[in-house]
Amino acid sequence: MMHRDLVLTFERDCWHARGDGLDVEHRELRGLEELIEARLAAGGSVVEVSLKFDTTGLPSWLRQYHGHYCNYTLYVPRRGVTS
Amino acid sequence: MNRRWHSGMFATEDWWSVWIGLAIFAASLLALLGPDVVGWMVRPRPWEWTNVASEFAWSKWFAPAGAGYAGWHPLVAFLTTYVVFTGLFAIGARSLGTDVRRFVLGFSVLFVVTWASWVLGNELHLTMVDATVDGRNRYADAGLSWGLQLGEGAPYLLALAAGLAIGNFAKGLAARLREAARPEWYIKTAIVFLGVNLGAQTLDASGFAVELILTGAAATFVAYMFFWPIVYALARRVFGFKRDVAAVLASGISVCGVSAAIATAGAIRAKPVIPVAISMVVVIFAMIELIVLPGLYTSVFPDQPIVNGAALGMTVKTDGADAAAGALLDELMIARNLQLTGQQWQAGWILSASLLTKIWIDVFIGVWAFLLALVWIRKVDNRGGAVSVSPMEIWFRFPKFVLGYFIAWFVYLAIASRGEEVASALDAATAVVQSPMRTMLFMLTFVAMGVSTDFAKLKGMGKVALLYGIALVVVIAPIAYGVAYLFHRGLMPPLAAP
Repeated sequence: MMHRDLVLTFERDCWHARGDGLDVEHRELRGLEELIEARLAAGGSVVEVSLKFDTTGLPSWLRQYHGHYCNYTLYVPRRGVTS
Repeated sequence: MNRRWHSGMFATEDWWSVWIGLAIFAASLLALLGPDVVGWMVRPRPWEWTNVASEFAWSKWFAPAGAGYAGWHPLVAFLTTYVVFTGLFAIGARSLGTDVRRFVLGFSVLFVVTWASWVLGNELHLTMVDATVDGRNRYADAGLSWGLQLGEGAPYLLALAAGLAIGNFAKGLAARLREAARPEWYIKTAIVFLGVNLGAQTLDASGFAVELILTGAAATFVAYMFFWPIVYALARRVFGFKRDVAAVLASGISVCGVSAAIATAGAIRAKPVIPVAISMVVVIFAMIELIVLPGLYTSVFPDQPIVNGAALGMTVKTDGADAAAGALLDELMIARNLQLTGQQWQAGWILSASLLTKIWIDVFIGVWAFLLALVWIRKVDNRGGAVSVSPMEIWFRFPKFVLGYFIAWFVYLAIASRGEEVASALDAATAVVQSPMRTMLFMLTFVAMGVSTDFAKLKGMGKVALLYGIALVVVIAPIAYGVAYLFHRGLMPPLAAP
C-alpha cells in the first residue's frame, strides 16, 4: 500500500488539501475526496492518504479550547476500481 | 508528518499549563530539602480603608507569602511575582507562536487589573461576614457597622466586573489584550495547582474525596446519555437545524462547551465555520451562567453545598467558566453558611465538587468524538470502506491539563504517605502553591474571561442563542440539579480548624 500525507485546511468557504505536489480544493469535503481520488489513484495498489487538519486556520482565540480538529485516513482504490 | 502520541507537547496551551503548573509545584517541593524558592509570592492582606488612609503602608495591602521572605519589601515581592509569572507564560507564548511583545504587554495589563481587583476586593467592608463564632462577633472585632458580606468572593466579583467593563466598554483596549486574554490557559494551570490542594484535602477526608470522584464520574454518564440526545432532538425537530449543526450544538450546549463543539465538529467533518459560530455563543452563555448561578444557588439552596458545586460542574460549560463559577460559589457559600450558622466550612470542597464533575466530562470528550466519528463515517456519510479514523484521536483530544491535575495529586499523596512529619512539612512547603498562586491564576482567569466576552456578539445569533437559552433553562440546569441532588444531597464539607 502506498502512503501519502496531505494537509487539510478550510479557507474562503472551501476545503483545501495540499502536500506531496498535490493542491486541490472543493466546497464540500466529499467533493474534495473525489478530487484526491482522481489525482492519486494508482494502478498497482491502494493509496492510503493521511489528511491532517491545520488548526492555524482556526481563529487564534479558539485554539486555547482545543488544539485538534479533524484528522482521518482516506483509502484511494486502485485505478479502475470503484469504492 | 505522521502525528505521534507525543506530538505537540510544546505547541498547545493545554500542555503548557501542565509544564508551568508542575514546574512550580516541583520548585515548591525543594523546601522539603531546605530552600524555599517560591515564598517570594506576594499575598494580599485584609484591610480597612480608614486604617490605610490614616497611616499608609504597602504591607497593609500585600506581603510576601513565605516566612523566609518576611523581610522583603512588599513591592519587591510584587515585582518578583510579576517577573516570574510573566516570564513563564511568555516562554509558553513564544512556543505557541504568539507575538511575545504583544503577549507581555497584554499580560502586564491583565496582571495589574488582577492585582488591583484582588487588593480592593480584600477591603473588610466587602469581605467580612457578620457572624458570631465561639461567642465572638467578627463585625464587632473588626470595628465594622456595615458591609456587603461577600467573603473571599468579593475579589472574584471585582475581577469579573473589571474584565467585563474592558470587554464591553473599552473594545479597543480589549483587542490589544487579545494575545494575553487566554482564560483557558490560566485556569488549566490553576487546576494543576488544585491537584496539590486535592492531595492535601484527601489526607483530611479521603472517603469524601473518593465519593466526589465516583459521583463525578456517574454524573458524566448523565451529561452524555441524557443531555446530548435531548438537545440534539430539540435542535433537529423543533429548530430544524441540519444534522451537523445540531450535533455540534448538542455537544457545545450539553457536554463541555467550546472544546466539545470543536471536537464534535472535527469528528463529524463539519465545516469549521460551524463550531466557530457556536463557540462564540457558548462563551457568552458560559459567562452568563458564571454571573447568575453561584449567587442563585447560594441564595436558594444555602444548605446544599456539594449539590450546588456538582450541579455547576454539569451546567456551566468551558473549563474556565466552570472553575471560576465553582471558586465563586465556594466563597459565597462559605460566607453564607458562616452568617447563618456561625460554622465555617473548609475552603475548596465545593470547588472540587464542581471541578471533579467537569473533569470527567472533559476526559470523555475524546471517546465521545471518536464514537461520533465512526457513526458519522459509517451511517451518515456512508464512507465506511473509504475513510477511517484512528483510535489515537482519543488521545489527541484528551485534555492534557487533567494529567497535570492527577500527577500533582498523586505525587502529593505519595510524598505525604511517608509519615505525619513529612505530610506536615509538605503542606507547609506547598502552601504558597495551594493558595496565593492558585488564587492569582483564578483571578487572572476572571479578568481574562471578562475581557474576551463581548455580549454584543449575541446579536444576529438568533436561533442558536434561543436554542441555547431554552436548552439551558429547561433541560440542562434542572436535570443537572436533580442528578446532583440524587448523588450528593446532605453531603457537607468538613469544618475548618478553629
